[in-house]
Amino acid sequence: MVTADLDPQAPQAPEPPEASPRTPGRARGFFSGRRPEYSPAEMPTTGYQVFRVVNGVILTLVVLAVLYPIVNIVARSFSDAAYIDAGKVDLWPRGFNVATYKAVLSNGLFWTDYRNTVVYTVVSTVISLALTTTYAYVLSKKDLRGRTFLVGVAVFTMFFSGGLIPNYVLVNNLGMRDSIWAMVLPNAISVFNLLVMKAFFESMPSELEEAAAIDGLSSYGILLRIVLPLSKAVLATMTLFYAVASWNSWFSAFLYLDKPNLYPVSLYLRNMIAGATNQSSLGMGQDDTQAAANIQAVTIVLTTLPILFVYPFVQRYFVKGVMIGAVKG
Amino acid sequence: MTSTDAADPIPGPRPPDEGPPSAGEAATAPVVRSKRTWSQSLRRDWRLYTLAVAPLVFFAIFKYEPMIGNVIAFRQYEPGGSIFGDQWVGLMYVKMMFQDPSFWTVFTNTAIIGALTLVVCFPLPIVLALLLNELRGRFVKRFVQSVSYLPHFLSMVIVAGIVMEFLSAGGPVNSALKAVGHSPILFMQQPGWFRQIYVSSEVWQTVGWGTIIYLAALTSIDQDLYEAARIDGAGRWRQTWHVTLPGLRPTMMTLLVLNIGTFMSVGFEKILLLYNPLTYPTADVISTYLYRMGVNSGNFSYSAAIGLFESIIGLVLVVTANRISRRLVGTSLW
Amino acid sequence: MSSPQISRRSMLLGAGAVALGLVGCGSGGGSSKGSSGLNGKDADSMSDFAVGTAFRASKPLTITTLYDDNPNYELNKNWLFFQELTKRTNVTLNPTAVPLSDYENKRSVIIGAGDAPTLIPKTYPGEEVPFAASGAVLPVSDYTRYMPNYTATVKKWNLQADIDTLIQDDGHYYLLPGLHQDVWVDYSLAIRTDILKKLNLQVPQTWDDLYNVLKAMKEAYPDQYPMTDRWGIPTPGGNLFNLLAQAYGTQAGWGYQNATWDADQKHFVFTGAMDQYRDMLTYVNKLVKEKLLDPESFTQQDTDAEAKFTSGKSFVISTNAQELVNTYRTPLSKAVPGATITKIPVPMGPLGAVKKGSRLENGLMISKSAANNPDFLAILQFIDWLFYSDEGKLFAKWGVKGVTYTAYGDGKVTLAKDVDWSGLNPGAPKSLQKDYGFFNGNFVYGGSTELLDSQFTAEELEFQKVMAARKTLPVDPPHPMTQAEQQQTNIWDTPLKDYVTQQTLKFALGTRPLSEWDQFVSECKSKNSDQYIKVVNQAYQRWASKQK
Repeated sequence: MVTADLDPQAPQAPEPPEASPRTPGRARGFFSGRRPEYSPAEMPTTGYQVFRVVNGVILTLVVLAVLYPIVNIVARSFSDAAYIDAGKVDLWPRGFNVATYKAVLSNGLFWTDYRNTVVYTVVSTVISLALTTTYAYVLSKKDLRGRTFLVGVAVFTMFFSGGLIPNYVLVNNLGMRDSIWAMVLPNAISVFNLLVMKAFFESMPSELEEAAAIDGLSSYGILLRIVLPLSKAVLATMTLFYAVASWNSWFSAFLYLDKPNLYPVSLYLRNMIAGATNQSSLGMGQDDTQAAANIQAVTIVLTTLPILFVYPFVQRYFVKGVMIGAVKG
Repeated sequence: MTSTDAADPIPGPRPPDEGPPSAGEAATAPVVRSKRTWSQSLRRDWRLYTLAVAPLVFFAIFKYEPMIGNVIAFRQYEPGGSIFGDQWVGLMYVKMMFQDPSFWTVFTNTAIIGALTLVVCFPLPIVLALLLNELRGRFVKRFVQSVSYLPHFLSMVIVAGIVMEFLSAGGPVNSALKAVGHSPILFMQQPGWFRQIYVSSEVWQTVGWGTIIYLAALTSIDQDLYEAARIDGAGRWRQTWHVTLPGLRPTMMTLLVLNIGTFMSVGFEKILLLYNPLTYPTADVISTYLYRMGVNSGNFSYSAAIGLFESIIGLVLVVTANRISRRLVGTSLW
Repeated sequence: MSSPQISRRSMLLGAGAVALGLVGCGSGGGSSKGSSGLNGKDADSMSDFAVGTAFRASKPLTITTLYDDNPNYELNKNWLFFQELTKRTNVTLNPTAVPLSDYENKRSVIIGAGDAPTLIPKTYPGEEVPFAASGAVLPVSDYTRYMPNYTATVKKWNLQADIDTLIQDDGHYYLLPGLHQDVWVDYSLAIRTDILKKLNLQVPQTWDDLYNVLKAMKEAYPDQYPMTDRWGIPTPGGNLFNLLAQAYGTQAGWGYQNATWDADQKHFVFTGAMDQYRDMLTYVNKLVKEKLLDPESFTQQDTDAEAKFTSGKSFVISTNAQELVNTYRTPLSKAVPGATITKIPVPMGPLGAVKKGSRLENGLMISKSAANNPDFLAILQFIDWLFYSDEGKLFAKWGVKGVTYTAYGDGKVTLAKDVDWSGLNPGAPKSLQKDYGFFNGNFVYGGSTELLDSQFTAEELEFQKVMAARKTLPVDPPHPMTQAEQQQTNIWDTPLKDYVTQQTLKFALGTRPLSEWDQFVSECKSKNSDQYIKVVNQAYQRWASKQK
């Protein structure tokens, strides 16, 4: 009898006693935390200890290599233009001021556009996820007739595209100019994400679905009640991918939107940077110097910050043991 | 572990009340495709087909309808003529392309830079994901993960700016060189350094983000396999080799095939920002060359023709890579 | 590696297809390109419109226009500019805003899709060519006879030769350019005058003077590069080479084109192989060799160059009027107290006190649909008044007398007390551009020297005075090519330009010795430089014979 344990949080195998955090001599705190089981064969291996140290060093270097330029950027966003121009800003702000932040944040249009970005991102992610998941599920059925054709339809679009003008004309003719649909529909399915999701679905053991079928579930039911709950990791990943892509996108906006109060904030800020660094010989006032020097830095901080908060929420779904106990032969 | 319920002779998880049994099908047969007629397939799988309708409509409207306009590339457009043009001049453009000596230089550069990027940037996220996986401590793990993918959010302009400052005569690298007595090297002006610079900046920008997929994939590896390996006395390293990597294999191969398919479209924007005439011999790729051509001489027909050529190559590469992947590993995109 | 949502390939392909949709084929074949009377299209126009008449449509008229939205003064449809315009001319402008960051792209797409508004401003000479070929914009040369202010200006300031450079192979031109009375020189070099004073040096007048000044600076500060440069991306040495080339009698940097007119021999020659070009490179190489010019100048980012100058590491850099005030002076005052800078008149070379440049600046195109509009004549007259009449230009630039300015005359303007533009009235609460919509980059082009002078600070006026006194060299004659010729030269054009640019840098930096110059010339020949020039001269001859 197949017993399908559908609870994705199914408990792991019981821990061997040596791995308990209360083992004497082990330091606690966030460098130890909840430690998984070690077999007697692996625990005290010197080789592994060395590896752990090396790993720590490598990862520390990675963190430093990434953080250094980014901290520099954040420092610049708070620095006085004069110091930035003179190249004197390193890891710490010089001439600390929030003038550019104030200039950007006090503009009503900025907030309108920020709200637009949030709306576009949410709607776009939902639509994209729905379309991609269903299609990926269908494509993952290896014995479906016509499957190759369905896959080909998607893959072909990875290499060939209509081009800017035909797409523009299409959106125009559909009456979607200056509407949210122009932002969320034209690129709803990313074939890359589609194929990755399909690979995930294919790697799920078929016994689960067979068992559910025997229990009387239809394809719809299997998708909703069995496959999706067990695919939290890949769903979370795709949510992240689509959300970030939508958050950063400005291209569709510039192409299909004419009203500045419909822009996403990414386009607004991109335009602002272009204006601040524009060499136009007509009319750049002197008070714009401040903005020019650190506008890019401020832009980065403002657009990246929210996304950084999303990932920890998404990370929760990257849990181990999704399949534990699901299939017991 | 397969279903042996006699009530459902058609293999695969389908509702048992659908369709008559097909002659000659065993209950435990693996993928049986073309033995079913269309009406049988439709009857059995109609629900699946309905799930595919909305995405297909999407592709038809937003991807294929605009493609009709793409045909223009192989023709010359006569104002007032039909959109399908009056003359086929595609072959003329292709011939021009093959005779253009500069074209082969940029083609080679594209291939080399693309291959280098693939070889270097493909394995590193896997390695990093495995290293991260070995971290104990939830907070540390999350912190390092989050930090590692920050560069993904920086625009190309910023990254290029960071790279150029880093390598400038007064920047950290040259300061270090000065400290050991070496005279400063103007890296951005040396064609010999360009590939390394480009690949390194790609690594910096994409490795962290690339780990996300692998970390997600790691969670789907059956923990029982680890258990079994442990019981057999395997240490952490052997567990990784025999359980983790094989578990990641489908994901790896999918990504590999996809990346091979797109390797010709080597980073246009980043190269445009990082190169200059002195580094053209190694830095100039097809897309930047076409861009300059378009900007200088307004010859967009040529550009579009080469763009199509690139697309065709990409498609061929994907198909080939997929075939190899299927033969070697069993993973296939379709 | 994740795949970007919009693959770059598809973007490039898209860009290609965009303009591809714009590349036409035949020359002069279209029927709409003939001259036409305007019967039936003269509704609401003025029958007596002439120079000096203020335009007023007889019935309210709305004209759509593309609008390059500069974020420094975001579009506001309630600006006094729009309202006053309607009041005076009975015309309401309906702008379609496009963000400045992507104006060119969107313009291409909108025009290519057939969706273009009637007026398309902010188009630089040369940018109209792909649209001209596809017939999406009108051959304005056919209609200039209905624009009295425009024709009078061209005649008054002798601009016909400049206008001729816009002519396409079918004999028409498609852009209504901004017209300047005289070449407006804005770019030059900025020098630390306090250092000059300290070292007892004079402001250099010629390039040789500059060399001596730099040498003296190097002696006093041996560990620094006295000169660094910017604007090297995407054209290395864009400004520096451009200035030098004019002084030596060739073209380089921003001004580089593969073909240069040789006035003595009366035909075109290949720029990269000219002796003058070599002389210019010899000079630059001298500067680099003696460590007077920072070798990174040609490839570094602007921000790095600016940092070197404003932190006092270098004392000479390229500049224009705006950069001097905005980008250099303010940070410099904070980083190096007591530093003073000035923009020196462009140093002179073997050709002496000359200046060269086009007197055309960006202008507007008229979309094809306008020709079918019953108000077509009125539209032309409106354009003529706003962009080419004295009254219209003054209005667009400085606004309404009594509201935004109080006096204008003799090349000087007095802004209203509470209105500022670019520091003319520092501390004033309102901005001429942000609050009123005047001096808008979409509607203010060109103008008489007097009008231009009114916008300059006293400091800049001095520079302009010196430059105005220099002799203006004539522009190169045009060489409009047929489709076939263009296809031929297009294949050679970019590789030649690339090669010359690359070798220019190598010669300048000294990585290639100048003794290999002849070898370089023959390398260019192997890249078809001779054939290229032959085709150019052929096209020129054809055009020249038509002029007789």
